[in-house]
Amino acid sequence: MNWIENIAVFVVAGALAVVAAIVGFKIPVMDAVIGSAILVVITLIGILVARIMPGNLPMVFWVSIIAILSTTSISPFAATVTKYTAKIDFLAICTVVLSYAGLTVGKDLDMFKKMSWRIIVVALAVYTGTFLCATLVAEIMLHLEGII
Amino acid sequence: MSLLNNWKIHLIALVLVIISEMIGMKKIPVGPGVLLFLPMLYAMILGGVISWPKMKVITTGEMKHATAVLSLLTLLLVTKLGVIIGPSLAKLAEAGFALSIQELGHFFGTVVLGLPIAIALGLGRESVGATFSIDREPNIAIIAEKYGLDSAEGRGVMAVYICGTVFGAIWVGLIAGFLAALQIFHPYALAMGSGVGSGSMMAAATGAIVAVFPDQKDEILMYAGASNLLTTMVGIYFCLFVSLPITNYLYKVLTPILAPKRVRDGGISK
Repeated sequence: MNWIENIAVFVVAGALAVVAAIVGFKIPVMDAVIGSAILVVITLIGILVARIMPGNLPMVFWVSIIAILSTTSISPFAATVTKYTAKIDFLAICTVVLSYAGLTVGKDLDMFKKMSWRIIVVALAVYTGTFLCATLVAEIMLHLEGII
Repeated sequence: MSLLNNWKIHLIALVLVIISEMIGMKKIPVGPGVLLFLPMLYAMILGGVISWPKMKVITTGEMKHATAVLSLLTLLLVTKLGVIIGPSLAKLAEAGFALSIQELGHFFGTVVLGLPIAIALGLGRESVGATFSIDREPNIAIIAEKYGLDSAEGRGVMAVYICGTVFGAIWVGLIAGFLAALQIFHPYALAMGSGVGSGSMMAAATGAIVAVFPDQKDEILMYAGASNLLTTMVGIYFCLFVSLPITNYLYKVLTPILAPKRVRDGGISK
């Protein structure tokens, strides 16, 4: 996708996040619009930085860095960014993202139907294993470190 | 422009968002825990039903567009988590060591639970591809390069990848909500566990944990975001240089013990 399309996709997604925030979280329209716009702008800046920076690091990395920097004490906009992005609940964005995730399922359904039940059991074990083991190790480490 | 050609996808997404958010969160007690149904779950399931080829609502081309959009939109989640991390970066650094070590749980967890089951079910070399990682796009690339996607290992990784697309987020969201409601793990530990390295699975798990512990929302999102970032960044290298060799080694060790007799005799395995 080219730049204009990237921007268009995020504008649409940002608008959907506004709708989710208004319908699901009863956020005032203007607050939701500003919050969503800020999130979209930060994301786009992150993607831009990822494209111009050397080292071929993934977009996830640069978008994270830009987003984190935008609310640390060195950012002149930290207070504003924190205040307005808080209006767009994480769960509201999740609803938008998983709507699209759902709409991609169909293309894999034919292949999915041909798969044996065995591999489905294995897949469940894989997802459960990674979540559970990491949670277990985190629980132990946080206790040892005295954080919880 | 592909956005205008695929307007239907975005319109359907809008309708899904409105319907899902209007239904809102539902909790169903199951034994000692709770099954948590969040709007994102309805959105995913309704979307899945609409995308069913027999429904003939959206075309394969439109679904491909939705896939491209999805990979961009997970960045919006990353941004949201980033702006939450910013103000408490110092607090996050305190947990830096715990955060790094728990990544081992992410990387080995798939193998620890998945590999013995896969071998015992008689999957042969497919077990390696299926369980060496969480099998999202970067991991497929590793297997494609080493074995090719038409190999047994390639079939394993692709099968789990497809399962992930179809029900990964739903499953992870449900078990995360269930475990959180059991209150045996601290919400911070669950949050770190959520950073499995797939945007939609992380979202589903984190969302469920936040719904159970709303008071600690910001901390949960902070740890989940940091953990997911680490899993994504380190994951490719770790899976290539550590997980895959170890999975191969364990496969050799465990196959004579666990594999059904027909597999041991039959030579499906190498």
